[in-house]
Amino acid sequence: MLKVTNLEAGYGGSIVLHGVSLEVKDGEAVVLLGPNGHGKTTLLRTISGLIRPSAGRIEFDGKVLSNMSPAEIVAAGVVHIPQGDLPFPELTVLENLLMGAYLPEAWKQRKQKLEQVYELFPVLRERSNQLARTLSGGERRMLALGRGLMSNARLLIVDEPSLGLAPFLIEEVYRKIHDINKKGGLSVLLADENADHIAGFADRVYLLEMGSIVSEGSAEEMLKNEALLAAYLG
Amino acid sequence: MEKLIQAIYGGIVYGSIFGMMALGLTLIWGALRMLNLAHGSLYLVGTYIAWALVTLLKVPMVPALLLAAVGAAVVGFGMQTLFLNRILGKPGWDVGSLIVGVGVGMALDQSILLTFGPRVKQMPPLIPGVYKIGRVVINYNFLVVVAVAVISLVLLSLFLSKSRYGLAIQAVSQQPDAAQLMGIPTRTVFLIVMCISAALAGLAGALLSTVYQVQRESGANAMLMALVVTIFGGLGSVKGTIWAAYLIGLLQSFLMVYLGAGTALPGVFLFMMLMLVIRPSGLFGLGEARRL
Repeated sequence: MLKVTNLEAGYGGSIVLHGVSLEVKDGEAVVLLGPNGHGKTTLLRTISGLIRPSAGRIEFDGKVLSNMSPAEIVAAGVVHIPQGDLPFPELTVLENLLMGAYLPEAWKQRKQKLEQVYELFPVLRERSNQLARTLSGGERRMLALGRGLMSNARLLIVDEPSLGLAPFLIEEVYRKIHDINKKGGLSVLLADENADHIAGFADRVYLLEMGSIVSEGSAEEMLKNEALLAAYLG
Repeated sequence: MEKLIQAIYGGIVYGSIFGMMALGLTLIWGALRMLNLAHGSLYLVGTYIAWALVTLLKVPMVPALLLAAVGAAVVGFGMQTLFLNRILGKPGWDVGSLIVGVGVGMALDQSILLTFGPRVKQMPPLIPGVYKIGRVVINYNFLVVVAVAVISLVLLSLFLSKSRYGLAIQAVSQQPDAAQLMGIPTRTVFLIVMCISAALAGLAGALLSTVYQVQRESGANAMLMALVVTIFGGLGSVKGTIWAAYLIGLLQSFLMVYLGAGTALPGVFLFMMLMLVIRPSGLFGLGEARRL
């Protein structure tokens, strides 16, 4: 479904990603593990078109994403839930969600989508008329996920959904994403720096260090290999 | 009593006009983080288009006003596509956008001077006639100006808060990265904001040409008051801008009526300075993180 080949990208003159290749298959939950500052976010932002790659190729269902605009990439079905949630602070929860369905196709189905999102995250229904800036950290995370789900996404890219949350909330967030993946049938590509969160969630794992994939495999094998994880993640 | 009515009436007229000018400025600031120094010149474009249509081509008032707004919007469109899009999102945007504003503003002002000459011109009122309350003279023309201004402010507020595109403008202003990730085409949104803002300036210029004389300096004056209102209301806040417009309008009018015309401008500036000492981010200032 998603195929990244020899991707090179960075900021200005400095290259952050050195020839990254990875793949997400239909319905899979793939996790990108790696310490902070090693290129996870850069990789995800390049896939969604916020950063132009300097070399390499990104394909999604046979379409080449690497020279599309972010809007075209969303229309193709790749939707990115950014690190730190980035809600629209002065819009209400409902308005935030509606903006997730901005593109015409999704906009037509916004009512059904809204029901689905409210069902998955009942707290958002309670808060629907509140300004997004008044939400708690956990609610903001739910809003970011819900806003992403308002689109016609087929691949959901999630950047560090555990960031800054209390452990019980991290568990809940991962449960939700697991449901979205397994019950909702959306493929997921997720980045995290902590291997503890992803047991029982991930199908496959890539280890990213210094802008290169250093190891990959099924989640089962990778998470058993404590020596490897300790070496890279500490 | 008559003085009071006079002052309130004047304040509402000024407030409506300041509001139209300042709202355009604040929209651009919110979306593009740009202080559009050509805003006063766009106002002037509206003024002269309306004057030329009405007096030279004998076009009726209503289509002339609309065409003035459209004409200014076209100039705004050109400014965005020809100049601003080239530096958008690149380092140096802050200074670059100021320079584009100054440059486009000068070009417009001088083109108007070359085309229409330096002589002050007169524009007929929208609707002639007056209504008297005691010794207070209410000009029908002023009432129409206020009505058009208020209607356009209300329509624009509704558009921004209710429609899909309006919400998208707010989304881009508040969190451009996330807006892109929702599939909102930010460049198109910037272009729409620029056109709306320019149209408002053009319409304000056309309306006011029926109140004041048609002259080149009026653009700079309008820009100055719009700037005061925008800073006072908190840059980037629509609600704050509209409140501030009427507050400043009333203040100016009360100073004029009770203390004499000479005290109005110094008074307004003094008030703005005091306000900024107390609330540096303006009346409804939202700070950096929260915009529009």
